Formats: sequence, structure tokens, C-alpha cells
Amino acid sequence: MLLSETAISPLFSLAPLIVFLPVLGLLLNIIFGGRMGEKAIGWLASVASGLTFVVSSLLAYGLWAAHGETVVVPFADWITIGSLHIPWNFRVDTLSVTMMLAVSGVGTLIHIYAIGYMHEDVRFKNDPKRFRRFFVFLNLFIAMMMILVSGDSYLMLFVGWEGVGLCSFLLIGFWYDMDTLGRPSWANSNAAKKAFITNRIGDFGFLLAALTMFWAFGSVQFGEVFGKAEEIAAAQPAVIIAITLFMLIGVTGKSAQIPLYVWLPDAMAGPTPVSALIHAATMVTAGVYLVARSWPLYTLAPDAQYIVAMVGAVTALFAATIAVGQYDIKKVLAYSTISQLGFMVAAVGMGAFVAGMFHLVTHAFFKALLFLSAGSVILGLERGHHHLAHHKGHEEHEGKHEEVFDPGDMRNMGGLRKRMPVTFWLYIIGTLALAGIFPFAGFWSKDEILLDAAKLHPEIFIILTTAAFFTAFYMGRQIWMVFFGEPRHEAAAHAEESPKIITVPLMVLAGLSVLGGALNLPGVHTLGHWLEHTIELAEHELHLPAWLEISWGGLNPVVALVSTLLALLAIYISWLIYGRKPLTAGQKDPLKKPLGFIFTGMENKWFVDEGYWAVFVNRYVDIARFLADVVDWRFWHDWFHDKVIAGTYVWLSHIALNRYADQKGIDAFFNGLGDLTKRLSAFLRRLQNGFVRSYALAVMLGVIVIVGYLLMK
Amino acid sequence: MDFTLLLFFLLAATAVATALGLLLSRNAVYAALFLVLNFATVAVFYLLLGAPFVAMTQVTVYAGAIMVLFLFVIMLLGAEKLPKGEALPWQRPLAIGAAVILFAEAVYLLVQRVRLTAALPDPGTWENSMESLRQMAGMLFTDYLLPFEVTSLLLLVAMIGAIVLTKGERAVRS
Amino acid sequence: MTPSDLLSILPLLVLVVWACALLLVDLWLKRKGVTAFLAALGLALTAGLALAQAGEETTAFGGMVALDGFASFLNVLFPLSGLLGIAVAYGYLKRMNIERGEYYSLLLFSTAGMMLMAHAADLVVVFLALEFLSLPLYVLAAFARPRLDSEEAGLKYFLLGAFASAFVIYGIALIYGATGTTSLSGIVAAIEAGSLGTSGLLLTIGAALFLVGFGFKVAAVPFHMWTPDVYHGAPTPVTAFMAVGAKAAGFAALLRVFVTAFPALDADLTPVVWVLAALTMFVGNVVAIAQTNIKRMLAYSSIAHAGYILMAFVAFGNPATRADAVASALFYLVTYALTSYGAWAAVIALEKQDPSAGSGQAASGLEINDFAGLGRRRPALAAAMTVFMLSLTGMPPTLGLVGKFYLFRTVIEAGQVWLAVIGVLTSLISAYYYLRVVVVMYMREGAPETTREPWLDFTWAVSALATVILSFLPMALFAWASAAGVMGF
Repeated sequence: MLLSETAISPLFSLAPLIVFLPVLGLLLNIIFGGRMGEKAIGWLASVASGLTFVVSSLLAYGLWAAHGETVVVPFADWITIGSLHIPWNFRVDTLSVTMMLAVSGVGTLIHIYAIGYMHEDVRFKNDPKRFRRFFVFLNLFIAMMMILVSGDSYLMLFVGWEGVGLCSFLLIGFWYDMDTLGRPSWANSNAAKKAFITNRIGDFGFLLAALTMFWAFGSVQFGEVFGKAEEIAAAQPAVIIAITLFMLIGVTGKSAQIPLYVWLPDAMAGPTPVSALIHAATMVTAGVYLVARSWPLYTLAPDAQYIVAMVGAVTALFAATIAVGQYDIKKVLAYSTISQLGFMVAAVGMGAFVAGMFHLVTHAFFKALLFLSAGSVILGLERGHHHLAHHKGHEEHEGKHEEVFDPGDMRNMGGLRKRMPVTFWLYIIGTLALAGIFPFAGFWSKDEILLDAAKLHPEIFIILTTAAFFTAFYMGRQIWMVFFGEPRHEAAAHAEESPKIITVPLMVLAGLSVLGGALNLPGVHTLGHWLEHTIELAEHELHLPAWLEISWGGLNPVVALVSTLLALLAIYISWLIYGRKPLTAGQKDPLKKPLGFIFTGMENKWFVDEGYWAVFVNRYVDIARFLADVVDWRFWHDWFHDKVIAGTYVWLSHIALNRYADQKGIDAFFNGLGDLTKRLSAFLRRLQNGFVRSYALAVMLGVIVIVGYLLMK
Repeated sequence: MDFTLLLFFLLAATAVATALGLLLSRNAVYAALFLVLNFATVAVFYLLLGAPFVAMTQVTVYAGAIMVLFLFVIMLLGAEKLPKGEALPWQRPLAIGAAVILFAEAVYLLVQRVRLTAALPDPGTWENSMESLRQMAGMLFTDYLLPFEVTSLLLLVAMIGAIVLTKGERAVRS
Repeated sequence: MTPSDLLSILPLLVLVVWACALLLVDLWLKRKGVTAFLAALGLALTAGLALAQAGEETTAFGGMVALDGFASFLNVLFPLSGLLGIAVAYGYLKRMNIERGEYYSLLLFSTAGMMLMAHAADLVVVFLALEFLSLPLYVLAAFARPRLDSEEAGLKYFLLGAFASAFVIYGIALIYGATGTTSLSGIVAAIEAGSLGTSGLLLTIGAALFLVGFGFKVAAVPFHMWTPDVYHGAPTPVTAFMAVGAKAAGFAALLRVFVTAFPALDADLTPVVWVLAALTMFVGNVVAIAQTNIKRMLAYSSIAHAGYILMAFVAFGNPATRADAVASALFYLVTYALTSYGAWAAVIALEKQDPSAGSGQAASGLEINDFAGLGRRRPALAAAMTVFMLSLTGMPPTLGLVGKFYLFRTVIEAGQVWLAVIGVLTSLISAYYYLRVVVVMYMREGAPETTREPWLDFTWAVSALATVILSFLPMALFAWASAAGVMGF
């Protein structure tokens, strides 16, 4: 590896600060926060995060001055047992610095945004005390994420990996005891638990990978592992495949890929800045980072690479189709995130590490922008609703105006273009970037992924292009539904624009979403050359069709045109359906009629049609489940889990349990596994009858078996 | 057949029978008396093995002192008879089965695998009993000094325990 | 006996004399706080003396006891565990109206038994130490005596303990029958001389029975069934002391005897220990899920952790990993001791007398649901409890992760990859019930009544801090545990 032999420049000794600045911030907030005002708390946390960004920039500068040579900054001894030595080192190379910049940069903007957002949020939910807790968690997250990206060993990476998972858990369940409107509900805490437990399954894969690695390489240090990788790959190719596939399990958990993606849509229960920071821009990209970081292993296992790429591609398409049928503004973005993560995973899986990292960075910009704008929309609606309720409260009898109002439901919106013009324009920029319209950031990064896919795996290219079409469509649908037409709810009619503290960070993000493509323009490849210091890209001997050989300064016109035209076509279709004749209040989605049961499947995640279920009573539970699965668009992964992983016993336990009402694909699988464990546990507990003689008998039976074994041996 | 061997088998049968009697008797006094008999048989075993001092200790301490205490306790509590019946119907057959298997394993181990031979030490050795006693005392206070002292501590702790578990009640009541 | 014999077990001697003296002094002391203080002073003195012995290596009393790194490591650990046992008990005994001076002397005697176990180099001493540490525990389990469940716990523990001791005795008898000696060095010599012949099997069976007896003490499945009942019924500070001290002492005996005397038997015994470890981890973790009472849940958790330590033990016969096996087991014992004491301290803080049941009859506040709302009512305590739960699961940033890592590494190095996989899988299962406590504390409404006692608060606060801080700086502990090798003969 490129361990720098030269003396470490003093600049690099700053590296540990990227972890300790946010820790300092959160400590100060814990100790003094009680006596400080909201503004001071928020700005303290933001400054801590901002200084982290400054340090990251300095590291980037130092790295640039050192021509991108990897630097390992020793910090402390962590574990030394016999031959095993795991220090806590900070690894500063172009890959980790890119992540540091993205995390701390976007993170700082979101900190600032959150000062405004959480002020309103805690006000609406009548618990101002939690303001401080939020920023403590947010700083903790930044610190953990920094440990993750700067670690020099898989074990250190794992510490960060678990740490960000913990922060995610804490923040999803931030309003653990109430729903969006502050009514008592445990839905958010359940979502947090689901996220955490699903992630634990992914972590299990990670741990297996680390253990296998330790067993095969005798080390978990990046340098040693990558140094020996070729040697081991030649001797035991299966080991590399096993490690990379175990790692893939971890990736599917953290980066929300099939089959473990289910937690991410529910994770939107957290406050919007959390959705933007953790569940869109940074933490969920940790899986992509892991694959990119492990490039020496993946490039040695082409089969594993292909599986990774395929998982990513299928997830990209699959999640994009679900996004089409959602009504919640944040859920659309959640599925969109899963889909975009699929793009990145597919890219790094194919070996197009630069394209994947490029998309990771631009996606952090525009998805954070979209989420935060969505948060602004939701706050606008809440203000409208608050105003309304307040207004009505004087006239009407108390309690009568308590209607069920969901400020995140797009069917309650409409016409917000006029009420919230700033947010509208910001949202448009984010949408164009996500849809991949020239010259926004998303165009360049997505195009690079598509181009690499077209060159390497045409089938993945087709899947991803289809996914890109759906992406443009659901974003178009969202724009028309939210901002155009007439308000479909009085709250939307009274919505108010958000204050500056919220919109200014958005403008910065919008600027980045427009210009982010400049990071890696075709032909110039700034990011590509930057990352080349860390990642050696494999040279492929390819026989390409003529149309792929064309290059306009590095840009392939065919791929670019196809994707752009498809995106424009999708936006046009969405206009035909949603824009030309805007939805009216209470109207069904116009796609419902032509698409029929397919659309029902897309939307049918929350509103289980009771009558439909009633037709299929107990005796037909199996059939009902099968149909529901097909209808639910979940056939594939349900099949995957039930048949391939869980085998028949999950089916049996479900039929036995007869709980057809909550059968929802993967949720059902986890419930089934949980139930089975609980039943086993209850059975074993029954043996615990309290009689001494029974306990003695158990001892004696143990003795008999052991002695018998030794005698028979 | 050797006389001592015959004696051994006779005593062994008695020991097993009295142990079973202790277990199966529903009357606590009978059980205690079976135990006395059992101790006595074991004492004769010690004699046969040439350890007269241990045999005498067995008789005086176990069959004598401890059993008298047992009987006192039984009489004082007045709980001589066990109720009939068994709360766990599966317990007894399973326990008996387990005991039989364990016994079979032990026999298989000792007879078939280890091939122990039924050879008793020369019965003449125990005549010189004072010498063996002197040796034992010497061992206790040299090689086994530490275990000997620890045993005394053990008895102290047991005594404290007994006091704590009885005295305490009065303290709480008062 | 020479002065050097006495000197080599000086900490133990001091503790025993101190305990006897305390027993007498207590008669004239009105305030039991003074007794507690004196007992703590004695333990601290003992720990200090033991620390001063570090690095010495000798045998004494004609090979009956050994002083080596292993013994001095544990001789520091045991008094410290006793200190925490006093810290959590002091307020509790007063509150539950069972304050009696004998508690402290019994605790001191039990600690002395554990220390003797760490020294033991002869099976006779091993057995006496086992009884010496257990007898006080039997009494302590029944210490809340008018309370029925406490009496039941004491009696059950006593009866089953006696039953298990019988197996130890029988095992020792068979070992003696095969080798003609009870001293560990003698056994090694007999095995190396190769003259055992058919009685080699006798030795193996004897070792297996020995394993059964101590498997009972450390609560390995299927010899674990007493654990939940006894842990549940005993006064909670006693449970905490038992969970840490008795388990550590049991493992001390197993490690010392097996690593020193029986490495030659590993072909026969490794599969047995393997299955015991796997079963223990599995049953402990699975049954814990069904528990609603926190004491029973922690009891099963303690069973599960015995399984993890047994896992290290599987490697006892492999000369390449033997040192790591001992060191990782010791390290894990420290990890478990810290975390477990902290968790039990949190339980004690919530436990209170049931007002409806009359004085001294039963305790309440011990259901997991009683922790609801703790996050709001006592944020620091809830945070500490979260740390303990994370550490027991083995998640960063806690010492539990480091301990598990070290264990799993040893197991993998010893070639038992599947056992490590079972270990990882079962710790995955365990996340479910540990996490439930955290969820209940933070995400359920409730108004738990808690007790604030300086020494109790001190215990959980220090344990939590140590659990977190040591996870980042485990080097000193690693170094010490690796130095604590078992002396060869």
C-alpha cells in the first residue's frame, strides 16, 4: 500500500480533531446546555460540525500538497494481544477525505437548518426540552461517522458502523412517545426498533466478514489485509468470495438494499433533518463506502462483484416503482433514496468506484436538499394547520375541529407554489438534479454510472435506465401534486413560507446541486484523478459496440441522450397525468384506473383494504398471502426469504399463528422468526418448574450423557 | 471362597439395601435408623481396608453423634411421615431410569474398561493400628496442614451460618 | 511450614484473620455502618497486599497452594468484587430491614474461599475452597430470612450445591484412583510417565465429573437450573456478589486444574466442553427472552455469559492458544464483573419492599416493566443501565465488545470457528432482550420509584464509566491478563 514514508506533515496531526471536535461540542452541550438558550445550543453544535469541515478541508489540502499519498496518522494503541495489534489510527487518503468533506459539509448545513426546524418542531410538539438532546445526538452522529470513514482497520470501521447505527436508532425514535402531531403513539419507537434490529442482521454479516478476514489474513488492518489479498486470493479464492459476500450482507443492512431495505421507509419517523443527514446523505452511504474501501478485495472476486452490482441494480428499479405509489412526501423520498443507493451499490459493485463515489457525493447534495425542502413544506403546512386550528378554535365547540390531519400527505397539499415560492424553486432544483437533467449535478454522476454499466454489463444498464425513467416520473408526480393545482386542504391554503434560517442552508445545497457535477466533468475527471491515488481502477479489455466508442470529450452522447430523453419523457407523462388536470381534494390517484392492481400494489402499504381481506378468510390464508404478495409487489423478496432463507418453517409458524392481518412480506418473516424464538424460549422456561429434584435430575442426565459419551468413544 | 471376600459381599449387600431403605422409607425415623446401619457397614469396610482409626471415627462421629442429632431434630419437628404421592408423575420413573443407566455405566467403566480386579489388602495389616494412626496424625499436621486448617474455618463458617439463620428471626420479631 | 509458606498466602491469611476479628468486633458495634466500613477496609488491604505479590511465582505448603500470575490476578479481582458487594449491600440491607453484621463477615469468608481457590494446586484444596466459598453463599442467599423466596433460594442452593459437590468428590476420587495422587503436579507427572494404562479412562471420567461439579458452580447448561431460582430469591446484593464471585471462582478452578493437569485429555474432553459451551450460550440467551422479571433475566444472562467463557476454555488443550485461553477468560471475567455489578446496582436502585405484603415479606420493582420511564426520571441511571446492556450484548463503545472480541479471537485461533459462529449468533439473539430494557427505560411512560444511596450510585456510576473508558484503553488490562499465566509444573 501507499504508506507514506516521509515524515507526516503537521497538518495531518490535526486528523484526530475530526472526531474530537464534535465530541467536544456534545460534551459542552451536555454540561452547559441546560443554562443556554436554543440558539446558543444549536450554534454551538453547528460550529463544532463546521470546524470539523474546516479540519477536513485542511486535510484535503495537505493531501493535495502531498500528491495524494495515503497518510496514516497514529493516534493511540487500542488493542494489543500477543501478535495481534490494532492501533487506533486515522487513515487520511483521498477516499476517506472525500467522505469526510461530504459528511461534515452537508452535516454542517443540516445542523444550521435544524436550528430553525427543531425550534418549530419542539414548539408544535410541546416539549422544548428535547431541543438540546437533538443536537447532542447530531454531534454524536458526526463523531461516529468520522470514526467510520477515518478508521484504519475493519474493527475501527465497525465501531463507527455500530455507532452511527446507534445514533440512527436514537434519532428515529426521537419523538418516541408521540406521532407527527404530538398525539401519544409508539409508532416511532417501533420504527426505531425495527431499524436497529434489521441493521443488527446486517452487522452480523459484517462481523462474519471480519472474523473470516481475521482467520484468513491474521489481521483486520486495511494495509495488511489489502497487501495480502492477492496472495490469499491465489491460494484460497473462496475465502475472498466469502468475505466479500458477508460484507454484502452488511451493506444491504446499512445501505438499505434488498432484502434488508425495509427499515429505511419507516426510519422517516425521525425528524426531517435526521432523514436528510442520516437516512439520505451520509450514514446509508456507509455501505457504498465499505465496498469502495474494500476495492482490493472486490476486484479479486468478480463473481461477488457481479452479485453486488445486481443487488444494487434490482433495488434501484424495485424501489423506484414503489416510490410511484406513495402519498407521503417523505416516503417518496425514502424509496427514492433506496433506489439511488441501488445506483451507487451497482456502480461500486461493477468496479466503477469513481462513478459510485461521485454519485454518492452529488446525491448527498440534492437528496439533502430535497429532504430539507420537504421538511420546509411540512412545517409550512403545520403552520397553516396551526393557524387554522387556532382560528377555528374560537368559533367552534372545543374538540370538534380535531380532524386527522397528516402534514406529510401529498394529497393534502397542492398549489404550494404560490404560498411557498422559495421552497418551490429549491425543490425544483433538487428534482431536476435527481431526475438527471442536464446540467444539474445528478446528470453527470448518473450518466457516468450508466456509461460504465453500458460498457461492463448491458443488462444492468437496461435495469438502471428503466429505474432512471421511474425516478423522473415519481419526482414529476411529486412536483405536480405538491406545488401545482389548487390547495386540497385548508392547511395548504394557509401554508406559510419558512424563515431564513431554514431556507439559507437550502440555497447553499441548491447551489451545490447545480454545480456539483463540476467535481468530475467528463474529460476532466477531477474526482477520478483524486481518487486514483487510493483506488487503482482495473483496466478492462472490452470490445465495445461502435455507439459506445463515441466520446464527446468523455461524454457518450448516446447514453446521455437516452437517459435525458427518457427523463424528459417521464416528466412529460407525469404532467399529462398529474399536471394537466390537477388532483382535486379527495380524488383518487389518476394512475389507479389505468394501472389497476399494479398501482394498488404500489400504494397499498398502509391502507389494507379490509373488505378485500375479508373475502379470503382463514382457510385461504395461504392463497391470500400469495396474492397479497404479488399484489404487494413483494413476491420476489418474500419468496427469497421464505424459500431460500427461512425455508418452510416460517410458513408453518404463520399458518399456525393465523395472523394473516399483518402479513407484510419481510415484516412477517422477522415476526415469524421472533415468534419462533419466543415459543422455544417459553417451552424451555416451562422446564424450570421450581423443584429441586427436577434440577438435580437435569444434572444427573447431563452426567449420564457425558460419561456415556466418554465411554463409547 | 475367601472369608473376607464373602464378608465383603455380605456387607456390600447390606450397605446397598440400607441405602435403598433410607431412600424408600416414608417414615423419617426409619430412614435415620437405616442410615445408622449404613454407616456401621461402611465402618466395617474401613476395618477391612486396614484403617481402624477411620472406622472408629465413622462409628463415633457419624453413627453416634450426628445421627443422634438427626433423631432429635426429627422428634422435635414431629414431621416423621412423608405424605404419599408425587407432584411430578414423570419424575420418579425418569430418575430410576437415570440411576440404572448411571450404574450400568459405572459397572461398564470399572469392570469392562478399567478391568479392576477384586483384590483386597491383606487383613493382617490393621493389627498394627497405632502405627497407622501415628502416620495419619503426622500427615495431617505436616503435608495436609493447610487443608486441616481450612476445614476448621469451614466448620466455623457453618456455625456462623447456623446461628445467623436461627438468631435472626428473634431479632426481627422483637 | 515455614514463614515463607505463610508469606505466600499473606493476603488470604490477613483476610481470614480480619473476618474472624470482625465477627467479634461487630458484637460491640451498634452502628452496622462501621462494620461495613471495617469489612471494606479489610478487603482493600487484602487487594493491596495481593497487588504487591504480583510477579511472584512459588509454591507453598508442600505444593498444596501456588502463587503465580494467575493467583495474584484473581486475588485482586476477588476482594474488589467483594468491595462492590459491600457497596451495593450497605443501603439495601438497611432499607430491607435485614441489616446484620454477619453479612459482612460471611462475605469476607466467601471472598477468602475464592482466593484460596485461585491458589489451589491440589485437588483437596480445590474441594475445600469450593466448600469454603459456597457455605457462606448458601447462608447469604437465605439472608433475607423471613422472606420465603430467600429461604427457598438458600435451601435450594445448598441442596443442589451439595449434590454437585458430590460429583466433584467422586471425580477427585477417580482421579486419585487413576494416578495415586491429588496434587496437580503429581497428576501431570503420572500422565507424563505414561504408566496409566487402562486407568487412563478412569482419569478422563474423573476429570469429566470434576467438570460437571464446577459446571454447576459456573451455571453451565444443563447444570444451570438452580441459577434463576436462586438469583431471583436471594437478596439482590448477594445475587450480584454470587453472579460475579462464585462464577469467577468456578472458572478459576476449572482453568487452573484443566490447563495445568489435564491438557493431555483434550481429545476426549474438548468435544464435551464444546457442547456445554454451545448449549449454555444457546439456552441462556433463548430463555432470557421469555423472562419478565429483571432478576431472572439477568440470571439467564449470567448463564449465557458462562457459556461465552466456557468457549475460551475449549482451547485449554491446545498449547499454542492455552495462554490466550486463560488470558481471554480472565479478561472476560473482569468485563463481566464490572458490567454485571453495574446492572445489579441499577436493579437494587429500583427494588423496594412491597407495601402490601407486610414487612420483609416480598420485594417489588423487579419487573422489566418497572423500568419504564427511568430515562426521564433518572437520566444518568438509565444511561448507565444502557451502557451495561450494550456491554452485555457486546456492542461498542463498551468493554463487552473488547472482551467478546478477545474471546472470539482465541476461539478462532484454536480452530473452533463454528463455536465462534454460534457465539456471534447467540449474542445476536441476546440483543433482543437487552435492548428491550433500553426500550422500556426510554420509550415507555412510567414513574419508577428509585432509591438514591451514595454507595449504590457510586457503584453504577463507576462501573459505567469504567465500562466505557476501558473499552478505549484496554491495554493495561490486556497486559495484566496476559501476564497472569498459569504456572507450569
